[in-house]
Amino acid sequence: MIRYTKTTILAVALLFVAAACEEPVQEIFDGVTPEELAQSTDPALIDVLKASAYNRIIGTWGGHNSLWSMHEVASDEMVVTHKGADWEDGGQWIRMHRHEYNAQEEAINNGWGYCYTAIGDMNLLIQQNPNVTALVAELKILRSLVYLWLIDAYGNVPIVLSTDTDATPPTRTRADVFTFIESSILDNISELPTENTKTTLNQWSARAILAKLYLNAEVYTGSARWADAEAQIDLIINSGVFSLENNFFSNFVTNNENSSENILTLPYDENNANGFNIAQMTGHYSTQATFDLQDSPWNGYASLEEFYNAYETNDARRNSFLAGPQFALDGSPLTDDNAEATDPDGPGLNFTPEINELAPNSFRQAGVRVGKFEYRVGATPNLSNDFPIFRYGDILLMKAEVMHRQGNTAGALNYVNQIRSRSGIAALTTLTDDILLAERGREMFAEGYRRSDLIRFGKYNDAWWAKDASNPSVNIFPIPQGQLDANPDLVQNPGYN
Amino acid sequence: MSVGFQGALLAQTKTVTGTVTGGDDGLGIPRVNVTVKGTTRGEATNLDGTFSIQVAATETLVFSFVGYIAQEILVGTQTTIDVVLQPDYNELDEIVVVGYGSQEKKEITSAVASIKPEDFNNGNISNPTQLLQGKVAGLSITRPGGDPNGGFNIRLRGISTFGGNQSPLIVLDGVPGADLGNVDPNDIASIDVLKDGSAAAIYGARGSSGVILITTTKGNSGEGISNISVNTFASIEQKTLNKISSLSGDEFVARGGLDLGSRTDWVDVVTQDAFSYATNVSLSGSMGGTSYRASVNYRNNEGIVKGFKNERLNTRLNVTHNAINDRLRLSANVNLTNGSYGAKNNGLFDFALTYNPTAPIFDDGTLSQNSLGGYFQTLASSDYFNPEALRREQNFSGTNKTILASFRGEFDVTDDLTVAIQYNQDRFNGLNANSFSKSDFAYGGPRGGVAGRTTDDRFTEIITGTLNYNTQITDDLTANFLIGAERQTITAEGFGLQTRQFLFDSFGANNLGAGALVTGPDTNYYSYKNQNILNSAFFRANLSFQGTYFLSASVRSESYSGFGDNEKTGYFPAVSAGAELTEIADLGPISQLKFRVSYGITGALPGSADLALPIFRNGGRIDLDGDANTTDDQFIAPRQSQNANPTLKWETKKEFNVGFDFAVFDGKITGSTDYYTRNIEDLIFNVPVPIGAPNPFDAGNFNTVGSTFVNLADMRSAGFEFSASINGLKLGPVSWTPSFNFTIYDKTTIEKLSVGDGLGFEELRGGNLGAPGQNNTQIILNTVGETLGNFVGAKFIGIDENGQYVLEDANGVRGASASDFALDDLAVIGNALPDADFGINNAFQYNNWDFSFFLRGSVGHDLYNSFRSFYENQDASTGAWNSVVTDKTPVVTASPTFSDLYIEDATFIRLDNLQLGYRVPSNSEWIENINVYFAAQNLFTITNYTGLDPEVRYTDGGNPLVPGMERRNTFIPTRSFTLGVKLNIK
Repeated sequence: MIRYTKTTILAVALLFVAAACEEPVQEIFDGVTPEELAQSTDPALIDVLKASAYNRIIGTWGGHNSLWSMHEVASDEMVVTHKGADWEDGGQWIRMHRHEYNAQEEAINNGWGYCYTAIGDMNLLIQQNPNVTALVAELKILRSLVYLWLIDAYGNVPIVLSTDTDATPPTRTRADVFTFIESSILDNISELPTENTKTTLNQWSARAILAKLYLNAEVYTGSARWADAEAQIDLIINSGVFSLENNFFSNFVTNNENSSENILTLPYDENNANGFNIAQMTGHYSTQATFDLQDSPWNGYASLEEFYNAYETNDARRNSFLAGPQFALDGSPLTDDNAEATDPDGPGLNFTPEINELAPNSFRQAGVRVGKFEYRVGATPNLSNDFPIFRYGDILLMKAEVMHRQGNTAGALNYVNQIRSRSGIAALTTLTDDILLAERGREMFAEGYRRSDLIRFGKYNDAWWAKDASNPSVNIFPIPQGQLDANPDLVQNPGYN
Repeated sequence: MSVGFQGALLAQTKTVTGTVTGGDDGLGIPRVNVTVKGTTRGEATNLDGTFSIQVAATETLVFSFVGYIAQEILVGTQTTIDVVLQPDYNELDEIVVVGYGSQEKKEITSAVASIKPEDFNNGNISNPTQLLQGKVAGLSITRPGGDPNGGFNIRLRGISTFGGNQSPLIVLDGVPGADLGNVDPNDIASIDVLKDGSAAAIYGARGSSGVILITTTKGNSGEGISNISVNTFASIEQKTLNKISSLSGDEFVARGGLDLGSRTDWVDVVTQDAFSYATNVSLSGSMGGTSYRASVNYRNNEGIVKGFKNERLNTRLNVTHNAINDRLRLSANVNLTNGSYGAKNNGLFDFALTYNPTAPIFDDGTLSQNSLGGYFQTLASSDYFNPEALRREQNFSGTNKTILASFRGEFDVTDDLTVAIQYNQDRFNGLNANSFSKSDFAYGGPRGGVAGRTTDDRFTEIITGTLNYNTQITDDLTANFLIGAERQTITAEGFGLQTRQFLFDSFGANNLGAGALVTGPDTNYYSYKNQNILNSAFFRANLSFQGTYFLSASVRSESYSGFGDNEKTGYFPAVSAGAELTEIADLGPISQLKFRVSYGITGALPGSADLALPIFRNGGRIDLDGDANTTDDQFIAPRQSQNANPTLKWETKKEFNVGFDFAVFDGKITGSTDYYTRNIEDLIFNVPVPIGAPNPFDAGNFNTVGSTFVNLADMRSAGFEFSASINGLKLGPVSWTPSFNFTIYDKTTIEKLSVGDGLGFEELRGGNLGAPGQNNTQIILNTVGETLGNFVGAKFIGIDENGQYVLEDANGVRGASASDFALDDLAVIGNALPDADFGINNAFQYNNWDFSFFLRGSVGHDLYNSFRSFYENQDASTGAWNSVVTDKTPVVTASPTFSDLYIEDATFIRLDNLQLGYRVPSNSEWIENINVYFAAQNLFTITNYTGLDPEVRYTDGGNPLVPGMERRNTFIPTRSFTLGVKLNIK
């Protein structure tokens, strides 16, 4: 009897053990799997996913420590000085100004991540909806825009398609990437609408991508494509869809969605599309009182004295800066209680164009600040101004440039003077490379193109302010070290170790 | 035991009386068994040790009691027999709780440490792990700073995993995974620590960080109420800033700082002497065959910063019932815990030391450019706030309730075979509130006031069945077999809401509907639900040959729902063997020398159960037409929040341990020593992957996040542990029991940081210093082949005549600031992990007095002193921040930059606990004993470290790859004094 009881109990125990060895399944209650996404029949889903892909692009373009910062601080139009206890940040911004950046820079890694995260999202979307032709076409061209940013900043980058399976995509040459961008757009442009859709791609913004690509073709591939650039630019101009705004700043105010001049914008929004933090990045701590900003700014970015002084006194665009004595919203003058004792300017808050030094003790108040975009009263750190990626004013100057480079300087002057007269300054009678570059600088300040312009005009390696002459190898940024570590098939750009 | 008069009398009996006293303290011992040898007759001694028994002159009385050496005395002609029982220091017969059962200490072949209540620390103890602090070699329990809500960092033998479960598994009365907050220190009967891999392997996948078994006190079997005890104490806590302070207002102005006219000591303003108290009442007894113990514990701890507090009411009922001749044993443990906490923004510790000491607390706008809420605030810097305003205007609080119920039934099918089944339920609910008022300049003010509530529900269910079989295989060989199965399901649900723009601050978070904005920045709403399942089966065999040779083997298989399809099951075997050498040969004064060797494999669970799966969660809000007025086109886009990895599997730790348990001079000296090596493989780690590239682990998918959780790393560490105590020493009339333990670490080394096809790296940097001005500066470097937690930086040479730093890199190149050097040129300037930990306890006893003090320390670890690193320099040009002052402050006017000047050796020895107690003599019938005690905690610390607290930091914000960082939001450490009474009532 006891023996049977023992055996029974043992048998029950073994059954119990066997049941416990069953492999449990992980149930998900608060998320969806890719299969569920693919099977969804809600027509809104695809539109939402596409809008989400655009949201990735909006991301950190207008924010600190990413692509925009790299382009601006490495150029001669902006600087972030080391102000004593603030803004040393491992020396990143000093190196950025002096063209001594290395593969460990945080901003350079962030810029890369920002681009490839967007590409990953787009590839996933293309791969899940291969039969929705219009969607696929639009996403491929959107992807090309991101590749335009990559080819401009990093040069030799991997190309990842939605059908790729290689987990370690190899580096491709700048020329290969150029061809890829060109063909992606040309193959798909006919699927895009011709309406002026502003915040999403249409045929005109797609042509603007091509125009920028061809404009910089000599830099990217070694062979110039001025005529091809001109062909695209002409299509945009002749469409009649865009025109110059009478007031330069209408393109940059908080509610600039109706600008007739902006071609493609990133629709930042303080509620739903965060990332445009320029007021925080450039304002002095006390600038909070000037615009009743929600949070105190960080006192980082300023423009260079030489760049600011290149504006004629009656150039309307001179208001692109916050300069001189600063005031609170009620008109009372602002003071900086913690101004340096050695600042000859004293405690009254005054943005002087002169900056005493790059490092280590740049004065807190030194340097004119970015004022091109409207800071609405009571703004949160995330502004709602739409950021123009392509603008008709830029297209006109590009038209001038390609004409000038192909020998038609008289025709070029026409277009340059349209821009100048809009801003209330006298027409030019002669045009040289330097004059054209300077006009582009004044018009396109803070829109992220200065570095590319300097490179194209062969001036990027010149010395300016606290920077010595630099080696042409710095014309492309290094591939971030973290990416090299994660992907052994990537090759570092020449000149960096 | 109260046995009646039984049996036939063969000879004339007489009444014999006497007293049984203890040889250690001379006091009467109650409940000693006084039995007549060879019969079933016997009595128990009374409360004072006296007894009276009928016995014949030819009979022998046997006096026995747990923990004392039994004595036999022939009655003879005596009518009064007084007996002195000597304490039995030989703990071999002690029963030690091991996984799923218990074993006699002499048979244990793994490294297990057992702590009894008499060894526990005393004082203002709010967390059970404080009872063990420094008592077990290899177990490090630290809580940097004095936060009453603060969790303790518990590490057994160093780092075992990178993931979520870095602390040992807590098993409470057989329930694995319990929360320490649910058991009150007054209810604990013993704590056993399973230190090595072979002991913990029976817990398989959760055992890698070690296992701590807590057993609560059960009822006694004596009929009626056998014990009522009351413990109560009150405690006062004060801040101790170690060696750091900041300039006073006058000193600040004298040095050139901005003088705003007042003199404010901000640290004093925000701190207070904190008052805490606790009371425990417990009752145990039995009725019929049922014994019970009920207890109620109440604790109320205030923090030294006003607004931090922690309150807890814990009730417990343990009931056991034996039936069918004790063959059926049923027990139920029900435990309810109700707690609440209050907290403030930890950023105020930073500002308390660095806010301008000449600024007033309040201002009506005459002095400051912004006087929101009537406080002084300045616009002169970002992220720089009046600490008292921050303290008053931001509030964080919450309540939590836990119900733990566990039911167990054991049945002896035969004398050898026992079947047991246990069912446990743990229901936790937490409700949190946070509010940022409209006068909060730092956050809530500009946003119109922000408030939110979150709630979390977690339901854990565990069912375990075991079969236990004892057998005598031959005369010399006994065996015990255990087979069992367990299933654990954890379901968690919760939701949260945050709104802003209020008209009234008085609601706090009580009326979220009064906030006008529910969507947009600084608002949030969410809910979640997740579940994971762990199935396991285990087997163990213990063999004992001639009471001299012992062998134990076990294996556990574990299946977890959170791993990929092919990786769900892991196997965790262990084997250990030992021999009692004194049974083999006579070793003279050595009365016990057990040699043991063991090897075991344990696993570790990942931090979340979803890491293997490609899940889409919530991305941003999309308004398809961009027009906020049309709402039928607004959606929340799904976004993939992590890259899936279905190949994710168990981390495994393989540990080898060899050691001795010894007793010398008949147990006058006892102790143990262990040497262990551990190899931890496949550590789960969030590794950077090529963003945008195809996901190699999930074909057809792309990396939409820059990192993926993979089994990436291998680590290795080793150590030597030693503990000993000397019992029954006499210094004249005073008895002295010293004990000490230490662990010497062979620090954790990283063996590998890669997985398969080239995904991986040679080094990992971490420990970014932060703002202002020291972003993008990472000071921790972990390199393959080197010790974890190395600091890298420039060496500080001196200050030049201009007050600038002179720094030097590994190649002798000099510079003035950290950014002058390339990362690869920097030398290793320190390491965050300790070389050794030690604890020394001394207990003295004289008559009714007892006195003990306990020292604890760590040797050889370095810490990054963030306060000095940011705020030591004279901010000569602006006088914006106050400076911290220590005995290491150099005279430098350059802006702060990192160098080895801020990596300090934090070796310390601390008087952790000191206690003086008095046992009040009582002749009262109903008071069994009264103990009054005075205790002090953290009385003093001897160290060269000038930061806030020299304790080892094992993690930085939960990341174990960045140890050694003392951040600027460290809670100010405290010292406390406690007065308490323990009362036992009969």
